[in-house]
This record gives sequence, structure tokens and C-alpha cells, in this order.
Amino acid sequence: MAKDLTANVRMYQVGELGDCFLLTFIEDADEVNVLIDCGSFRNSSKSQERLSAIVKNIKSKLNGKKLDVVVGTHQHNDHVSGFVHCKELFKNNIKQVWLSWLDDPKSALARRVNDDQKKLLGQLQAIHAQIARLNVKGDYSPVKDILGFYGVDAPGSAVPAEGIANLKILGDEKVDYLTPGEIKRLPGIGVNVYVLGPPRNMRLLFDKDPDKDETYDPALALANKDAEKLLSALRAKVGSADKQEEQFPFNKVYKKTESKADQEIVRVYNNHLNSWQKIDADWLNQANRLALFLDSFTNNGSLALAFELVKSGKVLLFAADAQVGNWLSWQDIKWPVKNMTTNDLLTNTVLYKVGHHASHNGTLKKALETMKHEELVAMIPVDKSDPNITKKNGWKMPAKNLFQRLKEKTHFRVLTMDDGFADGCNPVKDKPKSKWNELPFKPKIDKKNFFVEYKIQG
Amino acid sequence: MATSKKLSRLLRGYSLDPGFSTRLDTMSINEMVYEIRWEDVSKGPIGEYFEVIDYDPASNCFYDPVELNSVEVLAQNGLPPSEGNPAFHQQFVYTIAMQTLEHFEKSLGRRVIWSPRIVVTGKNEGQRERLAVKQEYVPKLRLYPHAFREANAYYDPEKKAVLFGYFEAAATARGSNLPGGVIFSCLSPDIISHELTHALLDSIHPRFIENTNVDAPAFHEAFADIVALLQRFSVPSLLEYSIASTKGNLGEYSFLGELATQFGTALENGRGALRGAIGKVDEKTGKWQKYKPDPSLYHTVFEPHERGSVLVAVIFDAFIRLYNVKTADLLRIATNGSGILQPGAIHPDLVKRLAREAAEIAAHLLHVCIRALDYCPPVDITYGDYLRALITADVDTAPKDESGYRIALIEAFRSWGIFPDRVNTLSVESLCWSKQDNLTQAEKKAVAYIARQLKEWVAPIVELSYTDGVDRKEIYMASQKVQKDLHDLLVQKKVNIINSGDWSSLMKKFGLADGRVAFRYDDETITSDAMPPIEVHKVRPVYRVGREGVVVDQVIVTLSQTVRINKGNLKGSKFRGGCTFILNISKGYDLEYVIYKNVASQQRFKRQMDYQMGKTEEFVALSESMYEEESGFKNISFAKLHLH
Repeated sequence: MAKDLTANVRMYQVGELGDCFLLTFIEDADEVNVLIDCGSFRNSSKSQERLSAIVKNIKSKLNGKKLDVVVGTHQHNDHVSGFVHCKELFKNNIKQVWLSWLDDPKSALARRVNDDQKKLLGQLQAIHAQIARLNVKGDYSPVKDILGFYGVDAPGSAVPAEGIANLKILGDEKVDYLTPGEIKRLPGIGVNVYVLGPPRNMRLLFDKDPDKDETYDPALALANKDAEKLLSALRAKVGSADKQEEQFPFNKVYKKTESKADQEIVRVYNNHLNSWQKIDADWLNQANRLALFLDSFTNNGSLALAFELVKSGKVLLFAADAQVGNWLSWQDIKWPVKNMTTNDLLTNTVLYKVGHHASHNGTLKKALETMKHEELVAMIPVDKSDPNITKKNGWKMPAKNLFQRLKEKTHFRVLTMDDGFADGCNPVKDKPKSKWNELPFKPKIDKKNFFVEYKIQG
Repeated sequence: MATSKKLSRLLRGYSLDPGFSTRLDTMSINEMVYEIRWEDVSKGPIGEYFEVIDYDPASNCFYDPVELNSVEVLAQNGLPPSEGNPAFHQQFVYTIAMQTLEHFEKSLGRRVIWSPRIVVTGKNEGQRERLAVKQEYVPKLRLYPHAFREANAYYDPEKKAVLFGYFEAAATARGSNLPGGVIFSCLSPDIISHELTHALLDSIHPRFIENTNVDAPAFHEAFADIVALLQRFSVPSLLEYSIASTKGNLGEYSFLGELATQFGTALENGRGALRGAIGKVDEKTGKWQKYKPDPSLYHTVFEPHERGSVLVAVIFDAFIRLYNVKTADLLRIATNGSGILQPGAIHPDLVKRLAREAAEIAAHLLHVCIRALDYCPPVDITYGDYLRALITADVDTAPKDESGYRIALIEAFRSWGIFPDRVNTLSVESLCWSKQDNLTQAEKKAVAYIARQLKEWVAPIVELSYTDGVDRKEIYMASQKVQKDLHDLLVQKKVNIINSGDWSSLMKKFGLADGRVAFRYDDETITSDAMPPIEVHKVRPVYRVGREGVVVDQVIVTLSQTVRINKGNLKGSKFRGGCTFILNISKGYDLEYVIYKNVASQQRFKRQMDYQMGKTEEFVALSESMYEEESGFKNISFAKLHLH
């Protein structure tokens, strides 16, 4: 006899940038609860209060049952801070934790990547501090903003690292570290979970290379090196140059300070009529670029999962904050199931948790175009009142064009964390265009308990 | 153009990049003496077109400028190549910049004037209306050899400067690099000419940095690589070496077809050159493979560099075709008619002859490629447009084409699957932009009137252009004046001899609209407030000599018209149309070509908006930053595009 399966998805309103999703799968009498991430960008008392109210709501929904699976997608504050601030509430309430292979302490590769990442983070902190000391003009807010993802923009402990560490001990069972290509089965229920990312290797190039003293990701190594040289330059500006800096990039006899340099050239450079051609601060833009690189790198380390409702083949796609590199790698995965391709998963997607709070870099254009299911609905964990979004030159979340395209692809069925229904997607107000009535269940918005809920018939 | 002083300056430099000097097989060919145009230079070097300012802000220092006119430097053909001496770096950047400039001036038949600086003069009050701007003449392009510490180099269109970076090489030994040594992007002739070409292309077509279709960002990259590559192929010593080692087969692996080898290998993921024109190392097998023409790539590859390399490969394909045809007789002579070479090295005389042929083809192709820019529409460039421009440019300067350049180009484009819009056959006749023969009598009269006006206005520029020692600023000022006059003529319709209906119809044939324009997009109607403003970008007389010795004397005029959208879903976007029209001076200012993009085209409007709004699969965001929208409305940023 065919069983009746439903998947209920709650997107919690963390009140700022952040992800917290509770998935409840019910098949007849069986119920499986999966929590994907629990975090918000800031660690303020307001943020903590909200998170703890949310976790309490989760507990009341579970009604004494434990969370079957908790997924920590990647080490950013806005995804895992709740596992620090609400650690006590989670205690003895989790059966198993899923993390990506990048968090596996037994993987030498993972350790190396983490070391390299940590090193870059450390260097960026130092760069940030030096730039502040130098008091140069220019906008270096990306460096500060991005350090915020790691909870290290202000002195104190690194919250997200602690969040992942907590996750490793919060589950009853041993942590499962997932690798792309794996298919997990949710306990006792007809749901398969396809592990899409993070890729074992950002550049497939090195997969088959026998030369093993290569680093995991050459771009990361180069970034570290660039950061080193940038930092060394900054330090020399504030204090004195060390031996290496003195001789870089030329022997010190060639390096002339402005007063000792050839005055003809100095005059040309300082000519006030041509001051628009000066390049005094251009080199410092590198700090922002390095910060964005680190941010992308961590995002690409996101654990991306596709939940397949076996009977109907419908898919719930949770892309975490995966960026291009992560998305691209999905195409090369060979699934241990006959005739199954990643494209099939995309084609059958009925719920898409939009990657990276719907910034343009969090959804691969080609993949979005492959999502063609008639029932497609999108959920965007974004709060437009977040200061990172409202400030001048802030983050473009949701990105205008992607947002528009998502609406078109979903027949105007986009849910956002802040308002519930995205502009133009209200089942009543936007009726002819917004096609909620073609689906069996309507979304529910509960502002009191801070969630937006949507149910899928499996 | 100034022709009296044929004096040249000899300067030593690298022919490939510094990495090849420490390899036994290439050290002897990696240094050469460049011969560039003589000009007065002061310390820097600072000349008429370029000022090299060696300020290194990260290292908090200046490096003493080279004095090219000092006896020590003159007497030994410039400073000897050295990675450790910044003065040589300055000299080298200047050398390659001048060399690239000369190729452009020779091909274009006029003096290069950098794209003017746009200064905002209006205040930003209230609504985001378009601010008043003025244009300022830019005499010299700035070159900063050591501007920042990164594996990058870029042209900054706002600063009118090229910034070169330097960085520490990968820690593991690879190629001929010193592990952890310093790599300077300003010592790679490929990188210098690539960046310079961005600046030169910007001076000719300032609208090509707008991301209006998937070919546009790729074109800037491709064109810069084509120029860098073909310049390399005109160095005889390199060609001889390469031909000797591949026994004349230029399609085989050789460093000649690679760009920026040292830079490429120095990166942590370095697997050889930054880009290759003939082939590349297969990512999976690690083996070098020749490119095979693949007509599917044009429809599947959208990332600007990858798509750019398709166009580079096409041009290179044409080069190989020409080389094979033009050297077949030499090979037959050398092999008693069999055409099959004996084992072992080929005769040095044959090497020389083959190299000479190859160098000649490269030089001709380079000139056709540059000249074609004058036959491109001023906005929204596509590869197909460029093919038509190439063919037309070549028909004009080499009407006979006994050597088959055009056929080779057409064959190459065809085998890579690149076809222009709305062309029925791939013949020279149908690819060549059509001569203007669809004008009515009334329109012809109006055109003749405009041409007469232009003839009068342009005369002083012609005079200035061919007089020695004239400051380019005078040409710029004179051109500005003509541009303004022509603008007024077009906007105020000071042509009394034509009625307004005929005038509208004529404007349409120039891709312009005489009144409001309206488009439909996504159930919205977009209407311009009034007639979209017209800009006259360029009125320049040119004088060029083609490879068959044909002299071409023309006036090139570019016009554009812009619709700005201030409300609705498309708020903030722009849509442009316009034309390049060419008058033949020696035929009484006859109108030869009108190469246009219709400003009122609904079809093109939809295509551009779909692309810029990211509705098509081919849209690739040029930045990975979450601080930016993904739309194509922003201009292409070379600083970001060039990150590796």
C-alpha cells in the first residue's frame, strides 16, 4: 500500500541575516525531524534572545522527541551561532549530527584546508587592524563585514568555530561527515538525501595529479601569500620594515622615499592638476578582494543537500551558501543509482532554499534554469532590515535580477524570511499571477512564533 | 602623419618573458633589440603618449627613473634586461607600449588620442538625474610598473592609467621559476601589450566596455590577446627558432602561441602559460593538445576569457591556414616536389624563408585586425560584427586579395561556428558591409549636404594631421569643434533641403531615431521622454596604405544615441544605438558605409535586456562579490576581470 508522505519546512525568522530551517517528514505514523543550521549574523543579546525563542519553539514542536538529524552547513556565524548561544537547549535533544567532510578531524586534506583558511583569516584580522591604524582613506568595510561572518570582527572568541565544535559533541550518535556522491537514507522513512557539496577538490585539476605536495587549493595558497606581502607592507608603513620587506621587491638601494627620490618624477606624480591619476590607495583594495575570496572559499565549503521524496521523486534543495565552485562540481558527481544525474535532481526540485541569502553568486544560473518543476517554490532566508543590507553600498540580498527570475521560475511563489510572501507573491493580493492555488498546501506565516511554513505533498 | 624623422630608438628587452632567459634552449633568443619610433623623452620615460611613473605605494617608495637619452643608455641600446633593476622595468614597459602604439597608428592611419577624461560638473541633488559632465583631453597614458602586490595588471579607464602588479611565485619549483621569487607583470611583453590594447581599444570605442551582450566583455579580452599574440609572431628570431624546432609546422606545440608563460607558471596552480592560442594543456591528462575547431563552443562557452579565447583561436586558425598555403611551394621546392620533409633538421635557409612568410602574414593580419575596429558599430559589438568589419576593412585596403586573407578568415570563422546575424551566405560580397545604395533621391541630397559640410569642417584637421610636430591636443580640439557642429546639425535639423518625413527615414538608415522611441518589455511599455540625445564621438580623417599598396583616404564618423530608463523594472538601464559612417575623401566625400545598430530595434532591445537581467543562460556575472548586483548594467571592470 502506498504510504502518504508530507514534508513540512519551517524557515525561522532570525530577525537579521541567518539560516534556520526545520524539516519535518511525516509518513503515516513515522516522523523524522531535520534541523538545517541555526544562526544569525550578529552575536548581540537581541540576536541571542531571538535564537533562543526559536529553539524553544522547535522543542515545543518536537513535543519531547529528539531532532533526528542536525546539519551544520559551514562555519559562518549566520549559520551556526545558535549552537553556541543555545547550546544548553540543544543538549540531549539531538540524535545525530551531519557535517561536511571538511569538518572531519580524521581527514588530512580537511585539516590542511582548515589550517590554510585559519591562516588567511588571521592575516585578514591583522590587515584589518593595520588599515585601521593607518587611517587611510577608502572604503574597507568588506574586510570588516566579512570578518563578521567568522565572529572575529570584534575581539573575543570565534563563535562559529565554537558552534561547529559544539555540534561535534551534541549528538547521541557519532557525527557523520558527508562527502559528495553519498546518498543517505533518513531513518525509517522514504526520503533519500543526496550529498552534493562541498567538492573534495575545488579544482578537479588536482584530483589526478600525483604531485602531492600541492596544496588542496592553489588559489587559497596564493591568497595567503598575497596577504603575507600585503601585511608586511602595512606593517612597514606603521613601524619599520623587516629584513625581507626591506629587500622586496627590489634591493633596498633602489627604494627611495619621496624626499630622497628623483624630484622631477615626484613633481609629476604630485602635480595637483593630475591628482585624479594618483594610485596611493589602489593597492589596498586587495584587502577587500582577499576578504571576499576567503568568504567565497568558506561558502564554497558549504554542505549542500538534496532531499528526495522517494515515491514522487520530488526534491527539496538546500544549497546552504554554496557559490559557483560548489555548484559546478555537482555536475561531475556519479551517483550510485542507475540513471540518476544531478540534473534530474534539479529538474525535480519543488522547493529551493535559495543559496547564500539570494545574493547573485549563490545560485548557478544554469542550475536555476534547469529547475523546471511545475510546483517549484523558493525560500529565501533574508531580512531586508539587516544593517549589512540597508547600509550604503551594502550587500545586494536578494539580488534584483535573481529575485525577479526566481519569481518567474516559481510562478510567483517566493517566500522570504522577513515578510513571508515576497513582493508580488501574495496568494490573495497577487492572485492571477501568483499561482499558490495550484498547490495542495498554502504557506503559513506565524509572526508570533517567528516562522514561515510550507508543506509539500510527497 | 608625421613622416620626416625616420629616426628610431633601439632598446634591448625580452622577447618572451624573463623566465626564458634562464633556460638553456631559449636564452639565446629571449633577448632582442626593439626598434621604436624616436621621440623626445624626459626621465621616466615620459614622452608624448606615455608617462612611466615608478611609484610603488605598497613599498612606500619611488624608483629612480631611467633616462633614455643619457649617453650610457643610448650607447648600449638601452639598459640590459634585468629582473632586479627597476630602471630596466621602466624602459621595457615604455618599449612595448610604444611598439603597440605604433602598430595601431600605422593600421589606423591616424594619431592616437586617448579617450577623454569624463569630469562630472553637475551636483548630485535630488533625484538621480544624469549629471552634467565635461570631457577633458588626456595627453598621456600613465604607466605604473609597480603599482600593487598581486598577480594582476589592469587598465583603469577612469585614471587613464595601466597598473602593473608584482607577486611572489609559488613555493614549489615549476617551469623555470625561482620558487618564491618575485614575478613582475611589467616584464611580460604579452601582458604589457594586452593591457595597452585595452587602453587603445577604449580610445577608439569607449562604449565597448559596456556589457550589452555576451560577446562584448569577451571581445575586449580577445582583441587584447590577438594583438599581443600577433606582435609576438612578428619577431623574426622567435619565429626562426620555433620553425626550426617544429620543422616548419606552426600548428605544433611551441611557446610562440602562448601568452604570459612566466606569469602563468608562477601561479600556485600554474600549468604553463596563462593562455594559449594554438592549444592548451588538457586538465585531466596533463598533456598539451592542439585546439580543434569546435563550432559548439561559441554557443556553450560564456565566461569572458574562455569565450575570448575562441576568437583568438579563430584568428590564429586563419593565420595557420594562410601560412600553410603560402609556404606549400617552399616546402615542395625544398623536397624536390614531394612536400614531405626528410628526417632531421630543416635547412637554415628554408627556416629563414618560412619565418619571413610567417612574420609577413602576422603583420598583415595584425593590421587588418586593428583596422577593422574602424568598421565596427560604435555600440553592442558581437563577433559576427567583427567578422564583417574584418572583411570590409580588408576589401577597402586590399581589393584584390590575391593571397586569400579574406577567404582564410571566413573559413576560420565558419569552422568555429561563428556567423553574423542576417547574412545569407558566407561570401566576401555578403559579409562586406553594404555600400549605401538604398537612399532615396531626397536622402541622397541631404547626405551630400552633410558631406559638403563635413568636408569644409574636416579640412583643418586633415591639415593638422599631416603636419609634423603638431600637438595632438590641437587635433583633439579641432575634432571636438567638428563634433559639436555635426551634433548641432543633426539635432537641430539644419538641413533645409529635406522635409521632415524624409529626414526621419534617413536618420533611421543611420540607426538613429528622430523622435521618441518606445519598446515593449515584460508587459511594460518603455517610452523615451523625447528624442534620445545624440552624441558625436568621433570625426577623424584617416590615411592608410594597405598591403597591396592601395591608399585609402577616409573620414570616419561615429554617432550614438542613448535611451535612459528611469522607471519600472528596468530602472537604471540604458539602451544605445548609432552608427559608424565612412566617407571617401578621394571620391568627393562619397558616403561609403553606414554600419549601424538601430536604436529603435525592439528585437535588440529585448535581447539586451534579457541578457543584462540575467534571464539567459549565457549571462555570466563578472564579479563574484555580494556587494554587487549581477546585472549587466555596470561597465566591465578590467581590474576584476583580470584576477586569476
